Amino acid sequence: MKSVTLGQYYPIESKIHSLDARVKLIGVIIFIISLFVATNFLAYGIVGIFLYFCIKLAKLPLKFVIKGVRALGYVIVFTMVVNVIFSPGEIILLDLGFFNITLEAVLWGILITLRFVLLIISSSLLTLTTSPINLTGAIETLLSPFKKIKLPVHEIAMMMTIALRFIPTLMEETDKITKAQMSRGAEFDSGSIAKRVKSLIPILIPLFVSAFRRADDLAMAMEARCYRGDINRTKLKELRYTKNDVIAYAIMFIFLLLVILTNFIYY
Amino acid sequence: MSILKTKDLIFEYKTSEINYRALDNINLDIEKGSFVVVLGHNGSGKSTLAKHFNGLFVPYSGDVFLNNLNTKNEDNIWKIRQSCGMVFQNPDNQIIATMVEEDVAFGLENIGIEPEEMKKRINFALNSVNMQNFRDSIPSTLSGGQKQRIAIAGILAMKPECIIFDEPTAMLDPIGRRDVISTIHNLIKEGITVVLITHFMEEAIKADRIIVMDKGKIVMDDIPKNIFSDIEKIKKYSLELPQITELANELNILGLDIPKNILSISEMVDFLKNVLKVEDTKKENWKENLKLEQEITSNKILEIKDLNHIYSKGTPFEKTALKNINFDIYEGSFVGIIGHTGSGKSTLVQHLNSLLKPTSGNIFLNGEDINEDKKKLRSIRQNIGLVFQYPEHQLFETSVFKDVAYGPKNMGFSEEEINKRVVSALELVGISNDFFEKSPFDLSGGQKRRVAIAGILAMQPKVLILDEPTAGLDPIGRIEILEQINELHKRTKNTVIIVSHSMEDIAKLTDSILVLNNGEIKYTGTPSQVFSYTYELEKIGLSVPVICYLMHELNKIGFYLPKNIFTVKEAAKAILDIKK
Repeated sequence: MKSVTLGQYYPIESKIHSLDARVKLIGVIIFIISLFVATNFLAYGIVGIFLYFCIKLAKLPLKFVIKGVRALGYVIVFTMVVNVIFSPGEIILLDLGFFNITLEAVLWGILITLRFVLLIISSSLLTLTTSPINLTGAIETLLSPFKKIKLPVHEIAMMMTIALRFIPTLMEETDKITKAQMSRGAEFDSGSIAKRVKSLIPILIPLFVSAFRRADDLAMAMEARCYRGDINRTKLKELRYTKNDVIAYAIMFIFLLLVILTNFIYY
Repeated sequence: MSILKTKDLIFEYKTSEINYRALDNINLDIEKGSFVVVLGHNGSGKSTLAKHFNGLFVPYSGDVFLNNLNTKNEDNIWKIRQSCGMVFQNPDNQIIATMVEEDVAFGLENIGIEPEEMKKRINFALNSVNMQNFRDSIPSTLSGGQKQRIAIAGILAMKPECIIFDEPTAMLDPIGRRDVISTIHNLIKEGITVVLITHFMEEAIKADRIIVMDKGKIVMDDIPKNIFSDIEKIKKYSLELPQITELANELNILGLDIPKNILSISEMVDFLKNVLKVEDTKKENWKENLKLEQEITSNKILEIKDLNHIYSKGTPFEKTALKNINFDIYEGSFVGIIGHTGSGKSTLVQHLNSLLKPTSGNIFLNGEDINEDKKKLRSIRQNIGLVFQYPEHQLFETSVFKDVAYGPKNMGFSEEEINKRVVSALELVGISNDFFEKSPFDLSGGQKRRVAIAGILAMQPKVLILDEPTAGLDPIGRIEILEQINELHKRTKNTVIIVSHSMEDIAKLTDSILVLNNGEIKYTGTPSQVFSYTYELEKIGLSVPVICYLMHELNKIGFYLPKNIFTVKEAAKAILDIKK
């Protein structure tokens, strides 16, 4: 098992965990909006503090959250470098002949990177504190107005549930098939790229065959339990807002307002 | 009163070439509240029949009625599926939701039950299958037996009158099987009609009625006693006798006047009590003619020294899978490894060909540490062949021949050598050359498994490891594979290691056994030594051969019989020895 913490549900009890999944989903959207509204360091300060406060409230170990970001380390560094090199600017810090590194570009690079890192942390905060089932539930309810324009909302949610349910099963299966082929002398980490891709065939074919077999079985089992789509269906868990959810909405609104206000202070 | 009825039921599978008649004129009437077992080899039409009962399949001609509702009528279908639930073979493939509670609710949501009522029914259903403490669990963390019980709860919540079980225990370990079977028996007591399809004869002996199918027809339909007294027919339809019945037959052959249709341990004990007198047996009469110590004449081929394995070390998910394993395997021996699911069996065998690396400790092949030199990895994996559980799931090539050649090709043998090895490996598993160019996906279940085993044999390993080689097969497939493995062992004199839940298989084949419990070695020794710990083994989630239980029961009522007997033949001999 690889230690990918990015987005893996962290099952503990906290104020954030117990919020309605819809609140958290909208919260992340508000947060992302605030990141794009924020164009100065004061705003980023507010955003950063707000996020820190959320992590603390969710009782997540800071190390654990940061470790998840580190998994994307290369992408982050790459974003930074590209922005520093290619952004325009006037105050030249370093003249390298082909191109100049300017103060504006460095600042911009830092800002963009910060935005990126905060984006990753905020969205992983959502999945870390929300069980997959609640998340799909929230998506289904939030999307339900779109049923009127024939968007298959129920089917999308059902697909997500089944996908989530089968991810661990298929991961286990992949591990098993890989080991079984390794027992037959397969090697996946040597040779040219073409050779490596080819060496995946003995894993992918059995995996597909098995996924189809499972899909067949599952369809049969669902039918046997009277599944017929979104006809006459009830739900075990109806999502209901509590007082805390309302407070959370209010806090998020104030937060967004604050971030927007910083723009006026600067200009 | 009848609940299920079929009338002149015919069903055909249509392929581009032929119409295959899977069900041929079935007329059946099942009483409400009865417990009916359906037996028959793979492909006999059992599952196809079962899927007609709740309208998953619609007859090609003829009719199926549930409570007088015709399954052909689309208006009836949801009513029918609600009153006739179905539990399938693979526990993984019938759980839909990511949480136990949600999964049990799935059927209720589909039929539009109000949330309040749903909660009540979920409680009731989880209590009935004894899973009330797993309400909030994630299905993928449960064992196979627990998953099956969740599937049963999902059906129970819908308040069915009848439940069809399609080989519900085929993929389970002994403890899972025991739990599921006892859950089924509770349902029968509650008055639910149960139709159980199975390959395990021991599960059939308590039925009210057994139906045997062959080639899409019902060929026998009677009470268990009558079914199992007709040995000719049992053989003809590729079934087995329950162990106790086999013993009765064996005793009969050896000259004891005993009815041939004794099915259960208690019946057998009752009978023997009357025929044999307790005074006949004295402690001195114990005949320890069994081999107790394994005679060691060969060299150690594999040595496992202080092996420890910890998964995800240093994370919150840390789990010790193996603890201080020390074990030697001798050249030419036949070793059995047993243990409940999660006891570390698979982790252990995956160390033996270096798929997993020890957290600490070493494994030596002929005195050489297998993890020392990375360059030798290929030769290690060639010398120690590991056949995984359900090996047929790893087939991928376009033809049988190519698939078997995959291993030898990776090993870098010459074309000629590869051909030689493939042909001889396929011959060893009894796959004839007409199959060589066929797609492995077109073969039957048993054939696929044999091809997959050939894929390992083609590398001509010195040590052959098989993880659950008979799991999920019907009796005839089971017997065939085991006979081939045994034959192979005798012919090549290779070392064979077999991991199995089937104690009868282990008893028949092996000369030494390793018992694992929670990652540690619990017992090692010859089968007769290990199986003498009947109740200790039961406590750690294993079962012992049925014969062992019988021996214990006989001892309880005063017969002095060796407790280390575990095969039918030995038992028959020991029982007759009392009489002499």
